Amino acid sequence: MMWDIRPESNSYSVIYVAENRIVMPGEVLSDKPERISYAFVDKGKTYSTVVGLYSEGKLVPLEGPYEPLPDDLIVGIISEIKFSGYSVEINCPYVSFLSSREIRERYDMGDAIFARIDRVDEVKSIDLVDAKKLPIGRLVKVSAVKIPRIIGKKNSMIDMLISATGCEISAGRNGYVWIAGKGNATLAEKAIRMIETQAHTSGLTDRVAAYLKANSQK
Amino acid sequence: MGATGKDRPKLFDSGKRVDGRSVDSLRSIKIEARVLNDADGSAYIEWGKNKILAGVYGPSECIPRHDQSLYRAVIKCRYNMAPFSGMEEHGRSGPNRRSKELSKVIKEAFENVIISENFPKTQIEIFVEVLQSDGGTRCAAVTAAAVALADAGIPMKDLINAVAVCKIDGQMAVDPGKEEDNFGESDMPMAFSPRTGDILLFQMDGLLSRDELAEGIGLARKASEKIRKIQVDAIAKVYDEPKEERFLVIK
Repeated sequence: MMWDIRPESNSYSVIYVAENRIVMPGEVLSDKPERISYAFVDKGKTYSTVVGLYSEGKLVPLEGPYEPLPDDLIVGIISEIKFSGYSVEINCPYVSFLSSREIRERYDMGDAIFARIDRVDEVKSIDLVDAKKLPIGRLVKVSAVKIPRIIGKKNSMIDMLISATGCEISAGRNGYVWIAGKGNATLAEKAIRMIETQAHTSGLTDRVAAYLKANSQK
Repeated sequence: MGATGKDRPKLFDSGKRVDGRSVDSLRSIKIEARVLNDADGSAYIEWGKNKILAGVYGPSECIPRHDQSLYRAVIKCRYNMAPFSGMEEHGRSGPNRRSKELSKVIKEAFENVIISENFPKTQIEIFVEVLQSDGGTRCAAVTAAAVALADAGIPMKDLINAVAVCKIDGQMAVDPGKEEDNFGESDMPMAFSPRTGDILLFQMDGLLSRDELAEGIGLARKASEKIRKIQVDAIAKVYDEPKEERFLVIK
C-alpha cells in the first residue's frame, strides 16, 4: 500500500490528578474490550470518546451535554401549557412532557419544577412524573456532568451548602440548580460556580468548606 | 500555479525554505481552548500568521426541521473568512464558492469521528471564523474545531487534526505558508485521525508523482503527531488552570 505509514504509538502527555488521569477522545483506556461508559471498542481495544477523568475502569466526562435517562431527578422550567399537560424545558435538545393527569397542582409559564424522568423513548421523547413546584428562587445553570460533584458523596457537598447558606438548594441531574429560601443565595451561587470550575480537583470539599466559612460571616 | 518569472521568489535553496524552515518543520502553533463564554465549546488557534476562532454549539434542536434526522445528529459547519483577513481584498463577507467548499470538507471530516447516533433529531454546529489568513487556513480550522468539539464534550472517536504538504522547487515540504502555497508547484491538505491513521480530508492542487505523494503523506503524518500533542496540551490546560471567566486577548 502506498500510504501504509501508521502512527507508532498512542501515548500522549498525561497529567495526574490524585489517582485519576485526564484522557482525550481516541485515547486507549484498555488493551482489551471492556464495557465502560463514554468509551467504545474498536479492534479489541477500548478507547475514550470524551475528555474525562479515568481510573480503574471508570470514565467520568469533564464536559458534555445532558443525556436524559429514566429515573433522573431534574429541575425544569414550564415552557408551554398544552391541552393535557405541560412542556418542560430541561436543558437538553428534546421536548419533555409532563401529563396533567399525574399532578394535582397547576403551573404557569416559567414556573420551576422538580420532577423525575419516567420514560425516554428511542427518539428521545421524555415523560416526566412526580412533579413538585419549587418556591421562588434563582436558577443556576451549570454543566450537567458537574452535578454529581455538587451533590457529593452521600449528599455531603450539597448538605454543607444548605447548612452554610441557609438556602433550599435543589440540584437537578440536568445541570439546573435551583436556589430558594431566605438564606445567602449569592454565596450559594458563588460556591456552586467554584465547584463547577474545580470539579476535577481533589480535596474540593475542604476548600469549599473553608470558602463558605470565610464568606458567610460577612 | 500562480505567477511565474520575475516575481516568483526562490522557494527552496540549500536546504532552507523561504521563511528559513526545514522541509519537515511546522510554523509555530498556539492553541487556547475555551475562549468564548456563550459557546458550548471553543478554541482559538494561532498557526504561523493564521488567527482562527472556532466555536461549537449543540447538540441543540435541529432547525429547520426538514434537515433533522431521526437517527443521528446533523453536523453543520460554517467557515467564514473575515473581509480584512488577508493581503488581498476579500470583498463582502458571507458565503462564497471557496468558503462553501471549505465548510463542506470540514463538515465531512468531522462526520467521520463525531458519534452522532447518540443525539437523534439534533444539530451540532461548528463555526470557524478566520480573522487573519496566511495559507493553510483549512488545516488550522480543522485543528481548532477538533479542540472546540472536545471542549464541548461532544463524543468523538478521535481528536483529529490537519496539515498540508507542498512541492516547492521539486522538494516536498510540510505546512506551506502563503508564498509556498501561491508559487509552489503543488499543495495537498490532509486531515488525519491519529488513532487509526485514517485520512479524513484529502485535496490536491497541482501535480505530484506517486513517490512524491507517498513522501508527502509520510511528512504530514509525522507533523500530525506533533499537532496532536499541542491540541492535547491546550485541552489539559483548561483543567490545569481553571478560569472563572472566559475571555480572549488577540495580540
